[in-house]
Parts: sequence; C-alpha cells; structure tokens
Amino acid sequence: MATFQRHRAFPWLLLLPQLAIVAIFFFWPAFQALRRSFYVQDAFGLGERFVGLSNYVAVLTSALWQQALVNTLLFSASVALGAMSIALLLATLADRVLRGAKGYRTLLIWPYAVAPAAAGVLWLFLFDPSLGIISRALGSLGIHWNQRLNGGQAMLLVIIASVWQQMSYNFIFFLAGLQSIPASLLESAAIDGAGPWRRFWTITFPLLSPTTFFLLVMNTIYAFFETFGTIDTTTGGGPNNATTTLVYKIYQDGIVGLDLGGSSAQSVILMVLVGLLTLIQFRYVERRVQYY
Amino acid sequence: MSTLTLERLNKTYGGNVQAVRGVDLDIADGELIVVVGPSGCGKSTLLRLIAGLEEISDGELCIDGQRVNDSEPAGRDIAMVFQNYALYPHMSVYDNMAYSLKNRRTPKEEIRRRVTETARLLAIDDLLERRPRQLSGGQRQRVAMGRAVVRQPKVFLFDEPLSNLDASLRVQMRQEIRRLQKRLGVTSVYVTHDQVEAMTLADRLVVMNGGRIEQIGTPMTLFNQPATRFVAGFIGSPAMNFIDLAHAEQTPWLPASTPGGALTAGIRPEHLQLVTAGSGDLPGRIEMVEPLGSESLVHVRLGEHDPLLVVRLSGDELPAAEQPTGVAINGPVHLFDSDGRRLP
Repeated sequence: MATFQRHRAFPWLLLLPQLAIVAIFFFWPAFQALRRSFYVQDAFGLGERFVGLSNYVAVLTSALWQQALVNTLLFSASVALGAMSIALLLATLADRVLRGAKGYRTLLIWPYAVAPAAAGVLWLFLFDPSLGIISRALGSLGIHWNQRLNGGQAMLLVIIASVWQQMSYNFIFFLAGLQSIPASLLESAAIDGAGPWRRFWTITFPLLSPTTFFLLVMNTIYAFFETFGTIDTTTGGGPNNATTTLVYKIYQDGIVGLDLGGSSAQSVILMVLVGLLTLIQFRYVERRVQYY
Repeated sequence: MSTLTLERLNKTYGGNVQAVRGVDLDIADGELIVVVGPSGCGKSTLLRLIAGLEEISDGELCIDGQRVNDSEPAGRDIAMVFQNYALYPHMSVYDNMAYSLKNRRTPKEEIRRRVTETARLLAIDDLLERRPRQLSGGQRQRVAMGRAVVRQPKVFLFDEPLSNLDASLRVQMRQEIRRLQKRLGVTSVYVTHDQVEAMTLADRLVVMNGGRIEQIGTPMTLFNQPATRFVAGFIGSPAMNFIDLAHAEQTPWLPASTPGGALTAGIRPEHLQLVTAGSGDLPGRIEMVEPLGSESLVHVRLGEHDPLLVVRLSGDELPAAEQPTGVAINGPVHLFDSDGRRLP
C-alpha cells in the first residue's frame, strides 16, 4: 500500500480515459437533459426561460404521453417475452443437434448482425399491404393486413421485427447456458423418474436462471431504447401514435417538434422509469435466480 | 430383490464402432458384480446400457426375468451413482434425495420419513439443508449414495464412484459401500478401473477388454486361474511377469507335459525368488531395487532384449543392484497359447 500512496496522481491518470468518456458522453448530456427539463426554449434556440416543474406536469398529464407509456409497456413485455421464449425453444432444440450444429447456430445468429433499420425495412417489405408476401398470404386466408391503417397490426409488426432481431442474441446465451449443464445431471434426473418436460422445468430451467435473468434485463433495455430504428423505418410511430413508444416520442417531440424542454423532461422520466424497473427486477426476480 | 440378466448384449455406434460385443452375464439377487478393465474397454457403456441411458443395439436385458430393452431409464427401477456424483446444484441435500420420490408421487410424509432414515444411515442427517457446493468430496459422495439408496431400487449401478476422492477417503468409502450393499442386499453393478477396488468389493469380478468379457469369476479365481493372458496381466499388482518362449518343449523349468511350440509363461512376482548366481531356473542380472518398506521389488534383466522380470521380496531383503543373480521359480507357472488363452 505504501508504494501506491506515494503515487497519488498516477491511478487517476490511468482512470482518466474511462472517466472522460463517461463524463463527456453520459454525465454532461444527462446533466443538460436534467437542466433543460426545467426550462422552455424558443424554437430557434436563442433564449430560454425557467418554468420549474411545469414541463413535467405537462408531460405526465398529456394523453399522448400516457398512450406512449402504455404502448411501451405492452411492446417491451411482448418483445422480451417473445424473444426470450422463442430463443429458449430454439436453443433447447439446437442443443440436441449433433450434425451440422455449427452451421445451424451460425444461421440463427445472423439476424443479430443486421442493423435495426435494415431489419425494419425487411419486415416492412414482407408485410407491405399491396406487395408483401406475408400480407398477401394473410389476405388469401381472409385476414386483411394493413399496418398503415390498423394500429394493432402496426404494433404486431414492430414486435415481430424486434423479436426477430433480439432472438439471436438470446439464442447465443441460452445455448451457451444449456451446454454448460452437465449431461449427467439430466441423465440422473431421467433415472430418478423425471420425464422430459419435468426434467426441463426442474433441472434445466432453474440451472439456466442466471442466464435468463441477465437476458431479462438486457431485453427490457433493448425494447425500451434500441428499437428506435426498427420503429422509425417500419411505422414511424403511427398510425395515430399506435406504435409511438417513450423513446420514439422523445425523438418526435425534441428533434422533430423542437420542444427541447418537454422532451428533456420525458427523457428524465424515462431514465427514472427504467432505473425503477431494473431495481424491481433485481429485488424481486433475482431472488429466484439459482446461482450455484 | 432382483436378478439381472444380460444376453448377447451389443452396442454399436455409428454403424461400425463396437463398444460392447456379445456380453453374457447372469447376476444373482443381492450380488455385487464389479466390472473392471482399462479405459475404453466398454465397461461404462455396459453400465449405461443397463441404466437405459444408451440404446441397446442387439441382445436382451432382463431385470427379474422381464425384458427391459425398450423401457425408459425411469421404468427400470434402477439407481445410479455417477462418477461426478451428478448432484443437482440448485437443490438442498434433502431435495436431492427427495427428487426421485417426488417424481413418483410418493406422499410427503413418506418422503420425509425415508429421506431422514437414509440420511441417518449414511451419517449425513446434519447436512440436509445444505447445497452440494457447501459439501466436501466425501460428503457429496455420501449424498450421491443416499440419493440412490432412498429409492429402494431393484438394482444399484456405480460408475467409478470413488475416483474423485483422495486415497484415504477412497479406502474408507470402499468399505462403507461394501457394508451398505450387504446390509441392503440390493443387486449391484460397480464399474471401476482400479483393480484393488475391484478385488476388495466384488462378489464376482468381470474383466472386460475391447468390448468383450475376458473372464467372470470370484476375485480369487481370477487371480489364481486367469483365463487369458490379458486377465493375468490386469489382475494383481505388481503385474504378472510374462516370458515368451519360442520352443516350450526345450524349456527345462516347465513340466514335461507342456505342449511344444510358441507359448507364453506367466509367473507372479511373489512366486519368484533370488538365489546365488549360477543356480536357480533363470540366470539374470539385478538392474534395479525398489524398497517399499513392507516389500522390495527387484527388477532382473534376463537377456539383453528380454523384458525386465519383477521379483517380490520381503521388505528386509535388499540385494545390491548391478549384480549377476539366479532366479528360482517357487510357485505356479501359468501358460498361455499364442492367442492369449490359458492352457490347462
């Protein structure tokens, strides 16, 4: 310890690059957002006026914001649940694949390499009301698909596109998790009289729980923040704000609508919300995680 | 109380790799059979075939006369102790032991009674609330045993259960397994590569090599009358000495009734003794002496290209190395033909 105490500056020097990045790209903008949320700005950014909490009051009482909140909760829950359960199913199946396992895995990992905006366009083509293959197939089944008019269908489309993207990420983690479970545990359970279904739920699933919990946190964050590109290219938040999530609304109000104070207040609220959600996940869900 | 019958049991992987070839074995009720052999001899595969973890390619497997080839592992009413114990890491010791009973919808009261009873029997009753990672190797081994015992299965299977323990614990657990198995009287198959474990535990020993059974018999039968050269070399430590003879009929120290031609003679190290140079049956030169305290192992070179002969002496006999010596045979000589089969 004595050696270190003589070099007070050096450790800080080593930490500096990291601290600078966090300060410039996180603390500074976060502080700016926090400060701006108490002001109104004119449209040209020339002047601002302190308004206290009235931006927050306006946001929280706005019917559009409340709708965006409901959209976000519905969207995030569906994406996290969908992407995780499909990935778990695929990983469980892939775990048994012996021949061609590498190729199969690579194919399943590809979607993650596709940029969110490109993924959005891909699904937009497939579901295009007049040209899309899927919408035509649905049409022949008597389902009229038009995400430009039908809000529910638009929501379903962005959920599908986001699930498709995130699934690959989850798949990699679930597969790695499954392969780290010793085969002898499942063999022992089989001898102990547990059928495949029961083996999965009493042995595999609890042993996967650290992975599952990690993915739950990551998927929630993904659905809240990183789906912006997908939503922007496929539906643009519409029709009639049916697919406007909280992040998308911040962009619309702040960048498009130039209401900097209002969108700053929204981003502060969003940050608090996600913080709370993660806290809840750690307090209540993590307790059921089996670390061993 | 059960018997186990294996008839022409075969296991083939991918069409050409034969892990188990035509194994016939009748195991009596309450018997402890130890399957022993070098690694890759098919002993673990054999155990997995009995457990139902691998599909039987050909042949019949019967428990109590009932064909169980196509039964699921759960349907065979067997319990297995794995080499790595395979304890469920997310369950307490109690839940580990109760798991199989819960799967069979045993009433809660009954589960509690049986788990506590078994835990007391194995002296792990103060560990019931712990998780496997909080246990020592020996304790884990006991829990793995407990998990098998609590089921009261028809057959116990042991897959090298002691190989992860240190030497002194291994001796202790070996004795405990033996005592427990006799007390419960459950038919058992025990796989190991350790011949001391095999000799001390077995009612009958099965020696496997290359997927086949080389010999079945009591430990003493295998030791005194090995059916093949492989068994002779595998059972006994230090291993039996083999001398290849091109013309057996010209060898003075073999009985006159010995058939002629190429043979291999096998003599155990304890059936040789050192005599003054020039006398005895075989002339040689002492190359190395290993004092082990209770005994001394003397390595004798017969000819320049012959393998070393090991002679076992008592601990207080320590001949000097690099000396010419005579070797006398004072015990049985086992003879094997060129296919490695024992000659009567």
